[in-house]
Amino acid sequence: MDLALSPAQQLLQQSARTLLPRRCPPERVQALALDPRGFDADLWKEIATLGWPGLLIAPQQGGSGGTVGDAVVLAEELGHACVPSPFIGSAIIATTALSAAGGRRAAALLPRLALGERLCALAVLEEAGRLAPDAMALRVEAPGRLTGRKLFVADAHAATDVIVLGRGAAGPTAVLLPMDRGGIEAHPLESMTGDKLFELTFRDVETGPDDVLGEPGAGFTLLAPAYRLGALARSAEMVGSAQRVLDLCLSHARVRRQGGRPIGGYQAVQHACADMFRDVESARWLVWETAWKLEAGRPDAHAAVATAKVYAADAALRVARRGHQVMGAIGYCEEHPLHLLHKRILAASLDAGDAALHLDTVARSIGLRDKSKGPLLKS
Amino acid sequence: MDFGRSADEQAFADEVRAFLRAHPPESFPADGTDAGYGSGAHSRAFLRALGERGWLSLSWPREYGGQAQPMAYRLLLLEELAAAGAPFGPLPGCLQVADSIIQHGSDTLRREILPQVARGEATFWQGYSEPGAGSDLLALETRARLEGEQWILDGRKIWSSHAGVATYGTVLARTDPASTRRRGLTMLMVDNRLPGMDVRPIRSLTGEVYHYEVFMDSVRVPRDWVMGKPGEGFAQLLHGLDTDRFWGRFYKAPFLERILALLVEYANTTPRDGGVLADDASVRRRLAQAATDIAALRALFRRAAWLIERELPATGPVSAAKLMADELGQRVLSLGMELLGPYGVLRAGSRWVRLRGEIQHQYQTSWGHTLAGGTSEIQRTTIAVRALDLPAEPRVRG
Repeated sequence: MDLALSPAQQLLQQSARTLLPRRCPPERVQALALDPRGFDADLWKEIATLGWPGLLIAPQQGGSGGTVGDAVVLAEELGHACVPSPFIGSAIIATTALSAAGGRRAAALLPRLALGERLCALAVLEEAGRLAPDAMALRVEAPGRLTGRKLFVADAHAATDVIVLGRGAAGPTAVLLPMDRGGIEAHPLESMTGDKLFELTFRDVETGPDDVLGEPGAGFTLLAPAYRLGALARSAEMVGSAQRVLDLCLSHARVRRQGGRPIGGYQAVQHACADMFRDVESARWLVWETAWKLEAGRPDAHAAVATAKVYAADAALRVARRGHQVMGAIGYCEEHPLHLLHKRILAASLDAGDAALHLDTVARSIGLRDKSKGPLLKS
Repeated sequence: MDFGRSADEQAFADEVRAFLRAHPPESFPADGTDAGYGSGAHSRAFLRALGERGWLSLSWPREYGGQAQPMAYRLLLLEELAAAGAPFGPLPGCLQVADSIIQHGSDTLRREILPQVARGEATFWQGYSEPGAGSDLLALETRARLEGEQWILDGRKIWSSHAGVATYGTVLARTDPASTRRRGLTMLMVDNRLPGMDVRPIRSLTGEVYHYEVFMDSVRVPRDWVMGKPGEGFAQLLHGLDTDRFWGRFYKAPFLERILALLVEYANTTPRDGGVLADDASVRRRLAQAATDIAALRALFRRAAWLIERELPATGPVSAAKLMADELGQRVLSLGMELLGPYGVLRAGSRWVRLRGEIQHQYQTSWGHTLAGGTSEIQRTTIAVRALDLPAEPRVRG
């Protein structure tokens, strides 16, 4: 057992801790959240010069071939700084799927993703709002024409490409389309989290055999491991945000005086902070244990991701709610960063599989008998 | 990061499992109650069997008859024992005391007591709490004065686990009558067989005896039966506090996994509405939720173990893990009671009892866990003040 970061991970963490608070302070996060088209292209470029979008891309395709743990380090720091970015969607989930798919199109796109020149969105969820095979109705035929819609597509306004998962003749099929392909339109949804979510409509969009990612009919098999990694990264992001909530509360509790002494000297406040510490630490080490299981290819890694996602969301949301109690009224103000962190946690808890989906996986992993068929992340 | 076991560690874990298969836990007679922490009942026969394999002195230096194995082996041993539901009740405490003797004990204590621990013959009770000194431990009134080559010990300790079946106690006493609070305390090692010792059982709400009250009336303790230096008993106590809390609780994660497995099996096999209980979406969800909490508890204990092994500051994670273990334990067992419905209250041995009555027993014991070893409130205050650097609440004088 060795629970220390590798030297490379320490460097990664250090560079994130240097860059992010300076380039993306709370005022900037706030401005991006309030702007319906908010996307910090300059920050993304800066992130790209550090090689982050290429972290999980193989060296021969222009990336740095990093590990699951490296991605966890970055996701936690992005969460701590509350940076709104397409990193997890594009540089983790889409990138992992593209790397696994192989083929000419993916090979052409990956080096450009690594350079930060292009961004890839994911169009998977539909009206049912569930990340599951039976929750998708969009017909995908290649060659053919694509007509229908996808919901909750993040960062479609900044994306240059999109992976669309739908029903094909052979089964669930993923296609990779450039966002400027004729007939694709993005209509913004208005989310309270500040995330930029869209409805993506497809009207007679032309698709060719070349657009298919991986094998026709194997779209779920392709995307499941990618979403698993995404779920772990979202868990790490929640840990980072929850840690930041705790940091804010502790700084506040040490200096805010009521009744002649700092409020952190009252047990009621101390105990709230202790609970938050327990929640953050337990979630953090569960996430790290899961990262190790994924890296080591352990047979229980799939269930571990579901477990970590459920627990991290529970714990981080508890921390956020408790944080409001410790911060008091100042934390209710729009200008205070607390609500941004709370909303980032909320968004992360819903992305890459929500609690209902992952609990189902956990239920089966502990041996509860089940007759229904598995969700996407199980395959 | 690496959460895995080395090949040697895995081989040792396999050896422990093979031993448990060959010697099923239920084949060892119990001589003390299972207090529900996951370490099972107090069974000298079981301890002796472990001693025969050299497993009680695994991590001691060779000069004291140990095998100088890293802490990981002790963790593995206790984890495997807990997963199997073995009766190793007092073992974690014995190993803690043995460590203290090795580090801070006199040569006499090392010579006299370590071999007995290694053979599974010596077990210990802790003499800290008193009727007037609970969470405010430093208000203790037990005293000892040196008379020639002996301490004359007078006082009264309470809530001492297994004191009636143990051989020795570690007793915190005030040895400097002029001192107050944390100064002037000494940690004495007291033999239960000494004249003047009176150990009386306290029946718990489970109907069993786990705690004892210990009266000490002019008990003559040899001068060098001291842990650490005279007057430095508080340092002894504090030194051991994090590790006590860790070793007193970390096997609660595998224990709760065992309980959860019982509940899963129960849900899978209990008919309900034409199917089984496990078909109920809310039952599935709540059991799964409990599984995620237990996984997080296990990870937090691993983190604490890693810090302790490297002698890094561990107070925050250890207290947080203890706090979480005991509150989660109550939730998991309460869920078990709910699943069992009217059968939940039936005691072991009753007609119609389910799951051998274990859930109700552990549910009851869990009520005391958030009090024992420092209440949950004390843990939270400890985390806040010692790990999170919040200002201590002012002490009320008078």
